[in-house]
Amino acid sequence: MSNTLRPYLAAVRSTLTAALCLENFPSQVVERHNKPEVEARSSPEVVANALTISRNENERVFIEPSVNSIRISIKIKQADDIERILCHKFTRFMMIRAENFIILRRKPIMGYDISFLVTNFHTEQMYKHKLVDFIIQFMEEVDREISEMKLSLNSRARLVAESYLLELYSK
Amino acid sequence: MILLDYHNAVIEETLRQPIIGLEPIALDSKIVDFDGVSYRISTTPQTKSVITFSLLMQCFKELVQLGAKEMLQKEYGSYYQTQIEQGYDFSLQFDLQKLPEDKEEREALVKKLSLIKRDLLAIPFEKAFEQQAEFEKEENKNPPIITTTPTTKSAELMQIHYRDLEAIYIQAQNDRVTVIFSTLFKEETDRIFGKVFLQEFVDARRRPALQNAPQVLYSTKEPPLEIRNLPELQKAEDREDLGYVTFVLFPRHFVKGEVRDKTISQIQLFRDYLHYHIKCSKAYMHSRMRARVQEFLKVLNRAKPDLPSVEKKTITGKTMMRGA
Repeated sequence: MSNTLRPYLAAVRSTLTAALCLENFPSQVVERHNKPEVEARSSPEVVANALTISRNENERVFIEPSVNSIRISIKIKQADDIERILCHKFTRFMMIRAENFIILRRKPIMGYDISFLVTNFHTEQMYKHKLVDFIIQFMEEVDREISEMKLSLNSRARLVAESYLLELYSK
Repeated sequence: MILLDYHNAVIEETLRQPIIGLEPIALDSKIVDFDGVSYRISTTPQTKSVITFSLLMQCFKELVQLGAKEMLQKEYGSYYQTQIEQGYDFSLQFDLQKLPEDKEEREALVKKLSLIKRDLLAIPFEKAFEQQAEFEKEENKNPPIITTTPTTKSAELMQIHYRDLEAIYIQAQNDRVTVIFSTLFKEETDRIFGKVFLQEFVDARRRPALQNAPQVLYSTKEPPLEIRNLPELQKAEDREDLGYVTFVLFPRHFVKGEVRDKTISQIQLFRDYLHYHIKCSKAYMHSRMRARVQEFLKVLNRAKPDLPSVEKKTITGKTMMRGA
């Protein structure tokens, strides 16, 4: 793990652990409604201050807590065109399977690549520390996955070009 | 399978029974090949012993100008039909009763038919290689007086529009033959993947084993010098998705005989080869992502506590039902 990754992940972990104290909170405005306040924004006093944790200008996490829900948005590192396309493909692949990933949001919020929405119902069903573990592990592995895919693309391209040209001129 | 085959396996398979085995069967099949080429192999309802083979190709008109008809007449002789099946570019007809007696000859005929697209597209290449040889001969006869400006002779540029918006340009010069492909990627992912692949084609020559391979150049947007003045490309200028791949072939790459045939077959499959591998790597990425997502799901499911599945009983022995 590189030098900056460890404190970055540690900061995200402790922020999430602190922010994930959610309770059931029906809407104050509409009767018999119980919506995640961070999405509904019906009463400003129950939405806490949002927080950004950045590793550098390309990688950051945006955490928006509220009384009954918390939204976590992640910006994944994209150094060039290939990484951009691979990241887009990968996050899209996950998001069309959002119903399996219970806490995954179907669309990321503006400026980020992927968003999670955890509500009090999720924390009632699942262990909070394991939820935090999942998000941290996701952040760790997504970078690795993208760079591995990029490497495999490059090595395939090299092999393909070599065998074609060899065929064109073999002594 | 890294390399693609030059011949069309479906044609070979379809014609094996009637032509090699001489068993008349009713046929009516449409077969497709790379680059929008399509064939129709059919027999008439009355006689199963006469097979009509027709071909449709986008660039056939251009190939006719370069002598495709003559080539077909020479290669197929009496099989070549003046009456062309409607909707196709040319037709061949085979009467099973009049086929050669020798089985090997018939096998060769089927093999030749399955390579017909390759043979047609080979015409401009053959022509360019001959032009180059002629230039060289002339030069040897009267070696140029060394002047300050070396004169480079170049033959007319041959254009083969083998797909919509994509073409092959071939030009012979006094010491080389230049083959230029214009490529178009419809999707952004393809464009970016294609860039990676083409860059490797350009860089591959640095490796010692490939020092003698033809030089490959790649440029986007800006067409290479040889074709810059074409009106069709000036219209297409500053299109992001258009790229140009140039192969520079020197005489050692087209030594007459096996080397030349192989080079021609290989070069004309370039686009198909490139796109095939782009698709392959996309498929590989997909299966990789599937595996990774599965793993993430497992991690997430660990967060769910296992529900105790013990059957609870009351003191009298009845099963307790929650909420019932």
